[in-house]
Amino acid sequence: MSLLTSLIPSLNGGGSCADAGVEQTRRPRFEVNETDSAYELTVFLPGVSKEGLEITDEGGELRVTGKRAPRPTEGLVTLHRETSDATFKLVLEHENSVDSEKIGAELKDGVLHLSLAKAESAKPRKIAVN
Amino acid sequence: MRFIHYTQPNARSVATTPGLGGGYGRTGIENELDWLFGTALAGFRGTPRGGRFPVDLYEDKDNTYVRAELPGVSRDAIGVEIVDGSLSIQASRKQKSGEAESTESFNRLVGIPDEVQADKVSASYENGVLTVTLPRKEEAKPKKINVSVN
Repeated sequence: MSLLTSLIPSLNGGGSCADAGVEQTRRPRFEVNETDSAYELTVFLPGVSKEGLEITDEGGELRVTGKRAPRPTEGLVTLHRETSDATFKLVLEHENSVDSEKIGAELKDGVLHLSLAKAESAKPRKIAVN
Repeated sequence: MRFIHYTQPNARSVATTPGLGGGYGRTGIENELDWLFGTALAGFRGTPRGGRFPVDLYEDKDNTYVRAELPGVSRDAIGVEIVDGSLSIQASRKQKSGEAESTESFNRLVGIPDEVQADKVSASYENGVLTVTLPRKEEAKPKKINVSVN
């Protein structure tokens, strides 16, 4: 069994079911694009609305947590499920190369766009040669 | 090892057994292998998964519901059709990464029960989730039969 879980990462992701009481989280799909002045981060968070979204930046780590709104399931019979209700959690280390004061975020249609301005020290600098 | 083979989720034929070592939504090893190949061949994080997206199927006594996760797609880029007893969901998403613009398309056929009123199907898109509501035909709804005792 452990061989299988090591071969197929998603069976392991989100923690084992044996952790009773620990909330299961899933890593969302994301993309990072780098420009000279900023990092553009796109995170796919289907089913997450503004109320369920939390973004924090501390200790050189950017954390994005997205809670999916619980859907009414009274009287509904589940025939087939491929999604999970687990909370999305993404932690990215940037080691202070990002200016925390200038982070812009926009959530639209389940996609979060984060604009992370690079800290001055991380921007490419031209060095003049005498 | 027992192999459960199915090409598309069919409302009646899928047994929702919990996945190996999980149970938080994925049903069976076929999905895991599909996902594994999808990510392996498409490259690592960030690249499109080859046009597939997760779909859930629910029903109550009046409707069948199909729920698809399609974040970042604009409403006019979504096409929903009923084709031969299956629901076809198509969508495309434009991605801008710096200067380059790329389009990603999605396509999926979902088996639905026959007793659906095709002309009364409705769909809504919220927070990146598309929900298609398929009302069941009147004759197919469970009806209470009164039994009189003589």
